[in-house]
Amino acid sequence: MQRIDVALVGAGRMGQVHGPNAARHPGLRLKYVVDARPGVAEAMAGRWQAGVAGLEQALADPSVGGVLVCSTTDLHLAHASAAVAAGKAVFCEKPIDLDVAKARQAQPLFRDARFLLGFNRRFDPHFLALKRRLDAGEVGRLEALHIVNHDPAAPPPGFIPTSGGLFKDFTIHDLDLARWLLGEEPCEVFASASCLVDPEIGRLGDVDTARVLLRTPSGRLCVISNTRRSGCGYDQRIEAFCSGGRLAADNVHTSTLVATTAQGALAAPIHPGFPERYRDAYRAQIEHFADVVHGRAAPAIGYDDGIAALALAEACGQSARAAAPVHS
Amino acid sequence: MHKVALIGAGRIGRIHARNIARHPRLALAAVVDPVEEAARALAAEWQSRVATLDEVLADPDVAGVVIASSTDTHLDYSVRAAAAGKAVFCEKPIDQDLARARTAADALSGARLLLAFNRRFDPNFQALKARLDGGEVGTLESLQITSNDPGPPPPAYVAVSGGLFKDMAIHDFDMARWLLGEEPVAVFAVGSCLVDPEIGRLGDVDTARTLLRTASGRLCVISNSRRSGFGYDQRIEAYASAGMLRADNVTETTVQAWTEAGAAADRFQNFFLDRYAEAYRREMDHFADMLDGSCSASVGYADGVAALALAEAAAQSLRSGQVVAP
Repeated sequence: MQRIDVALVGAGRMGQVHGPNAARHPGLRLKYVVDARPGVAEAMAGRWQAGVAGLEQALADPSVGGVLVCSTTDLHLAHASAAVAAGKAVFCEKPIDLDVAKARQAQPLFRDARFLLGFNRRFDPHFLALKRRLDAGEVGRLEALHIVNHDPAAPPPGFIPTSGGLFKDFTIHDLDLARWLLGEEPCEVFASASCLVDPEIGRLGDVDTARVLLRTPSGRLCVISNTRRSGCGYDQRIEAFCSGGRLAADNVHTSTLVATTAQGALAAPIHPGFPERYRDAYRAQIEHFADVVHGRAAPAIGYDDGIAALALAEACGQSARAAAPVHS
Repeated sequence: MHKVALIGAGRIGRIHARNIARHPRLALAAVVDPVEEAARALAAEWQSRVATLDEVLADPDVAGVVIASSTDTHLDYSVRAAAAGKAVFCEKPIDQDLARARTAADALSGARLLLAFNRRFDPNFQALKARLDGGEVGTLESLQITSNDPGPPPPAYVAVSGGLFKDMAIHDFDMARWLLGEEPVAVFAVGSCLVDPEIGRLGDVDTARTLLRTASGRLCVISNSRRSGFGYDQRIEAYASAGMLRADNVTETTVQAWTEAGAAADRFQNFFLDRYAEAYRREMDHFADMLDGSCSASVGYADGVAALALAEAAAQSLRSGQVVAP
């Protein structure tokens, strides 16, 4: 397979996941790493035989077919817009932005763009299997959905002020999964949230524990459960309640080992965090992006999905503040 | 041996009759039911006799009364039995009307009354509660209670049930109060009719999610469906500061069938008579202990009223689409 050059913009936490996956992909070549922080781009570039460049230089290079936007959230929209304007296929980390009005303003630019938004969970093999079997009607019609998304441990307080808050930073994954699985857009959002994990998060004006109820026009119900700290690893589950039964995607454990003693049976812990739990999803996501870059596939998740999830996240925040449901 | 009279020879009455009759410290002294046929059959099954409520209450040998009659009689019979000096075991709910239930406060607040929220006596949920209170996983932060019936009841039942929240979710409201350790201060409920359109025509819902919030910010979600499609789905997950405690469904047997199609576990126990058989025995044990005088009721009139208040708040939230303070 011919390799097409790609540039990685942002070599931080997510860039370190996607950069290597792109470099290892037989259809892609990591040509540039873009990161303004001293030494960061160099470290990644050196490891994966890529070059270091500024954004303008990378976008001006006609050999670059695709750009992976993994910069900080406040720069996603600017970087993605520039890459789209330069005619590149774009993979962009979620969320598209923290401001739904601003994201909507930029919408026309993305109308015909080859733009893939990085909602990684849609690529998880377990959730994909659930979606496929749900759509196949194996357990009848969907009636209600439970999405559990619990982080293992709270992020450092320094992360909170720029995160956009729990709903836009964290719940947004679940809101996307809900849209994907419900098959209808939610028309009612109710959220209740607390600061129970770390008082510092509360002082910064955010919450760390939340429950969200969504309702669709046909009456389907969805519950999203979030905490910043589970105390038991990265708790990622989906249950779909249907007219003929239930489909459940449970947690993935670090191994299949079970220790059985007089105290009981102790299973190996579930995965500790997203890099392990969604390793396959991140790879599949880059596989899909390679197909987009090669013109073999249209992006499965687009700009409009990013806006829809962001609008729901904003509704969650509004509902939690007002202690009342928000209708759309 | 404490003599106990049973009021009501219906479905749940038959469970209690068996547990009384087989109990080493209890004797089934009489069965009362306006349907004489039912009373006679049940009395005969356990070598008991048929009596009227007045006879039972006037009988000084009868120490305890188990009220398993229709819901609209629970409150009245409880008041009368308590006034007659009997220890009372009363099926849930205490009543369908909150205001009416509250009028009995003077008569029942101090009574020896066990309100039969059977799930508090389930060994799995009891273990979860004990370990939660033991602090093994830290401080409770939120709770998920799943309570899905296997199949919808006949529409005739729905019409007199009091609605999903008072009839079905009331168990979960009691569970929530028991486990949260704080009273909910805000209730928000959404509900739909997705299972049987006839239930909707009767003005009820068959699918609901209720969110409770306590003063300290603890959150609880209750999931209800009148039809799971896969048996009686009864689970609790308690999320705490240092981990999670989960009480899962109980399967009919532990047998699994592994084939190329996958690994198939056995079915969940089909309905409450199976799933909570042990809980019904344990709540009768507790009633026997009350009659011994060795303990007071662990769940009583005030709990019945509080659960009913939450059910009414949920129904009100569903109607208004707003958050309701119970």
